[in-house]
Amino acid sequence: MSLEIALSGLKRYRLRTALSLFGLAIGVGCVLVTVGIGNGAHRSIQNQIRAAGLNVILVKAGNYKTKGDETIEVQAPHARLAPIFDGLDGLDRVFSALTPAVLAHPENDPMEKHDHPTAADRLGDAEAGLGAAATLTQEDADAIAKLPGVADVASGVHENAKVFAGERRWFTRLHGTDVDLPRIRRAHVVSMGRFFSERELRRAEQVVVLGSIVRDKLFASDADPVGDEVTLWNQSFRVVGVTASANWMTPGAVGDDEFDAVYVPFTTIHRLLNVTNLNTITVTAESTGEVSKVAAAVTDLLRARHRIADTAPDDFTVVTQASEVLTKGLHPNVARVLAGNLPNLERVTLEELSMTLERSSRTMMALLVSIALVSLLVGGVGIGNVMLLSVTERTREIGVRLSVGARARDVGAQFFLEALLLGAVGGVAGVLLGILASRLVSESFGWTTSLSPGVVVVSYGIAIAIGLVAGFFPARRAARLDPIEALRYE
Amino acid sequence: MAKISVRDLKKTYAVGEVEVEALRGVSLEIEDGEFVAVIGPSGSGKSTLMHILGCLDRPTSGRYLLGEKDVSEISPDERASLRSRQIGFVFQSFNLLPRTPAVENVELPLLYNGGKLSRSQRRSRALEMLASLGLSDRALHHPNQLSGGQQQRVAIARALINSPGLLLADEPTGNLDSQTSREIMELFRRLNQERGLTLVIITHERNIAECASRIVELRDGTVESDGPVGAS
Repeated sequence: MSLEIALSGLKRYRLRTALSLFGLAIGVGCVLVTVGIGNGAHRSIQNQIRAAGLNVILVKAGNYKTKGDETIEVQAPHARLAPIFDGLDGLDRVFSALTPAVLAHPENDPMEKHDHPTAADRLGDAEAGLGAAATLTQEDADAIAKLPGVADVASGVHENAKVFAGERRWFTRLHGTDVDLPRIRRAHVVSMGRFFSERELRRAEQVVVLGSIVRDKLFASDADPVGDEVTLWNQSFRVVGVTASANWMTPGAVGDDEFDAVYVPFTTIHRLLNVTNLNTITVTAESTGEVSKVAAAVTDLLRARHRIADTAPDDFTVVTQASEVLTKGLHPNVARVLAGNLPNLERVTLEELSMTLERSSRTMMALLVSIALVSLLVGGVGIGNVMLLSVTERTREIGVRLSVGARARDVGAQFFLEALLLGAVGGVAGVLLGILASRLVSESFGWTTSLSPGVVVVSYGIAIAIGLVAGFFPARRAARLDPIEALRYE
Repeated sequence: MAKISVRDLKKTYAVGEVEVEALRGVSLEIEDGEFVAVIGPSGSGKSTLMHILGCLDRPTSGRYLLGEKDVSEISPDERASLRSRQIGFVFQSFNLLPRTPAVENVELPLLYNGGKLSRSQRRSRALEMLASLGLSDRALHHPNQLSGGQQQRVAIARALINSPGLLLADEPTGNLDSQTSREIMELFRRLNQERGLTLVIITHERNIAECASRIVELRDGTVESDGPVGAS
């Protein structure tokens, strides 16, 4: 009954009701849009940190420091965080040890003419020779997967290969990998088709996922090659998907090792090349802060599994993605120094970096939300004002209602409910407006916006609370009116 | 049995620092089914008397029996309930809700009588009431689309919708021309005679008062004269 009375009251003053609703809806919508933009920015920063692979640990077979020259200073496991001068000490020997290995790489055959980047271009000389040693196995990968703090593990076999599609050919990077890879590489998105499946991996099927650059070279930009066949090592492979960059800020480029690459099940490479070793094992830590800890645990595990004596060097290399990014393309000696000191650097720099980003995105968020809250407050004060004015303006109406038998509480309930209804309906309108506007913002400006159900519930709650507060005082005032005074009011 | 019985009713207002005695001991008996006009110059206390009789206000002292119930000391909610079930009001300025169709104005008391009428039941009762007052074709008109006489008849329909035993009218013809005034007074007389409604009308016009069967004259907060029409 009271609801009906309140509704008829709102209906009687349509324009006023509409304007109040509009004010509140704008307020709520504003909060949602700004929180959405803030959240979106926050999330895209986090995604970029994650996409940059701050939680990725890469285990490579072999350890270049020992290759071909056992006389160089061996790093005991406890000296892994070598100070800079230790690294500089063995510079020349390391360099001379590496040079033949780099030249011996088949890709650097001077007789071969090619229009593509070499492995050395891709990875830097320092790492071109890495991964050749046959020391990592699938059993190692399975053991790593059981370590605490490890999220995903992907085995990897890496080759360079010519891929043919009809008359076209492209020399590119061939990654034999695991079905977990898309989860690890968050910067990737399978833009067409799918990644290969567990079953295809188990059965070592000849399926391939093309990087977007390879797709562009072998087919056409934006062509959909899913279902087509490509040829690798004279074997026919069925294209099941295309992987592309998830972030418009970091599109694929020729020679980038991620999108100028093709992905096949590592089991298929094992079968075709008749090998069983892995070149790499890619590991992700569950949290960015634990990367160094997990990397140490991986090292200890592999040393134990490979029965490496305490004084002997690793027969594998554990690097975090950050160290790889930092050392890519550097002179091997400088790279080594950097890599040797990275665990310290990482702890300080990456944590600080993410904290700084976090802090700045929080500041921005706080700023946006406070602006939005002010607009919501204005909407709320508007409703309160309208309701108070309404009580004054409708004093006579209140008198009439009292004279025909309304109790004080009936009149109070009417005004309270009117405000509450304004809050509830305005809130719904605001939520819809906010969702719509966020979508519009992300579509027209390309900004990421993100609205969680929690934010929607909270801002709707604020709208209701505004209704409650804006309704309470006018309602109390209406309920306290003396019937005779109210009837006489002009 | 007396429908209304007031004994030594006093009402004092505080206007700023000054105490104003609006009623200084009014005693009155009004029988069931009587048609009484209360007249007197302004300031004589007739509006105050009507507010107390209508349970909108309570006396400072004295006793007021409505039916057999002493209503001089009851709570505001109980007074609201009495206003809802037993008393109808008609005002000089009609006091219809603006922007609201006539029929919804008539329905208004049904929203507060505690009954469980459905929306359609309320609507049909209000339409019936309007029809009995000859306003069927005006049911959906807003007050500003109605003449003064029509507005007052809508107000009377509103006052009667809960079938009260007592109708109080405060200067019901004050805003109407003489022709319409006569029509409204004729309507009151018919309601009194046909439905046995107890009517108390407040006016300062003697010719309007003479439509009633008894005239009570107030002066300075006391009853100056009380008797059947034509006696004074």
